[in-house]
Amino acid sequence: MHDLTISYGGEPVLEGASLAVGDGSFVSLVGPSGSGKSSLLRAVIGLQRPLSGTVETGLAPSQIGILFQDDALLPWKTARENVALGLTFNGMLRSKALAEADAWLARLDLAGLGDRFPRRLSGGQRKRVALAQVLAMRPKLMLMDEPFASLDAIVRARVVKDLVALVEREKISVLLVTHDLEEALSLSDDVYLLSQGPRARITEHYDVPLPRPRDPVLSRTHPAFAPLYERLWADLSREVDQRAEAV
Amino acid sequence: MRLDPRYTWMRQVAALAALLAVWEAADRANLLNPIYAPSPSRVGAALVDLFADGRIWPHLEATFGAALGGLALGILVGVVLGVVAALVPFIAELLEPVMTVLNAIPRVILAPLFVIWLGIGLASKVALSFILVAVLIFFTVFTGIRQVDRRLVERVVTLGGNRRALVRHVYLPSVASWVLGNLKIAVGFAFTGACVGEFVAATEGLGYLLSFAQSTYNAALMFALILLILVVVLLIFGLAGRLEKHLLRWN
Repeated sequence: MHDLTISYGGEPVLEGASLAVGDGSFVSLVGPSGSGKSSLLRAVIGLQRPLSGTVETGLAPSQIGILFQDDALLPWKTARENVALGLTFNGMLRSKALAEADAWLARLDLAGLGDRFPRRLSGGQRKRVALAQVLAMRPKLMLMDEPFASLDAIVRARVVKDLVALVEREKISVLLVTHDLEEALSLSDDVYLLSQGPRARITEHYDVPLPRPRDPVLSRTHPAFAPLYERLWADLSREVDQRAEAV
Repeated sequence: MRLDPRYTWMRQVAALAALLAVWEAADRANLLNPIYAPSPSRVGAALVDLFADGRIWPHLEATFGAALGGLALGILVGVVLGVVAALVPFIAELLEPVMTVLNAIPRVILAPLFVIWLGIGLASKVALSFILVAVLIFFTVFTGIRQVDRRLVERVVTLGGNRRALVRHVYLPSVASWVLGNLKIAVGFAFTGACVGEFVAATEGLGYLLSFAQSTYNAALMFALILLILVVVLLIFGLAGRLEKHLLRWN
């Protein structure tokens, strides 16, 4: 994306944002609340029209998947039907889409739960269904808007671990928005820092030299992790303090 | 004292039986005037009479016809108008004030007007049931669509769903769940419309029989009819509840 500015009518929430997500790379965007992180993702997938700037993915819409903070599963459809939904929208026969959905559910440890409605699933299971729903589309780019924020620590660690293994294996590019600096560093190849909004800007870029394949928990013990974390934390704190002084 | 919730229904039935027994005993001891408060046995006899000579059936048929006709028409028109108003702002501008006024007034006051317009036959009763149900369903659908979960809409759009997919997978199931959620109230409204319409002017129907019982000071018949209407509506409530439970099993 190049020089992206997003506004909801008044002062822009985000201004002049430019970043690139390489093939198969995992990029995170961190920043304080109100810095337009979610708006940026919405602009990439076409849910939000930017005031100016361009987003170029070179991908068909069906090749871009998004995971929201809420799982947003259709409550009147079973887990299997929810996963098959995108496939049928893109022309797959329903019977084939349902079989494909079962395979994805099994891959995400949800075998046997295909007939359950979302209400009968736990938070972690619903998140996995939402993940299967997006992965079943075989996206080239996945956008994630703090998708694991609502999960408790253990469930979150497990879902994230499975996710990382899958995106590494399938070579899916990821753009993740998160408040969680540790999560950003442990998962990403690149991290971008947004300043406090309104008129938030990308102020820093961090190259994360942790090896792949990566274990999201164990990678936090890598010698390169702590210095990067300290730098990112210091930069973020400075952004928040500067804005507080300006106000 | 802790009450075992498993036996709640038994306690309720026992309490009702005790009340009826006291009521019956008071009647037999001439403590109650049967013109005002006929005993359960007199009410039971009136009920049996209604069915024994078969004269109740045409009345039941008339009331059912009016209520179910009004219910079906009311749901259909309420859903269509609610959907159109939610999607076309111009239509909403015209319809919303009218529906708000109709919602604010006790709509049964329209019964005499419907008799003048449509006569004392079935049509005026269907019309009253219809207007009671249609306004309820209109607001259910209209506000429901405007408050449809945006996250679900965005989910379907980002999965590649077009407008048709949105209607089929988000709007229709949402509308169906709101309508089904209000089905019991709609059933109650439909029978209210039918009975009040018959009460105002008719030649048959349970409401007409009620009016007849009132004019002849026949309290036993009146109690029997009230009981009958209660049972009929509860039966339909039960059916509506089962339908709701089945169709909204995801909830």
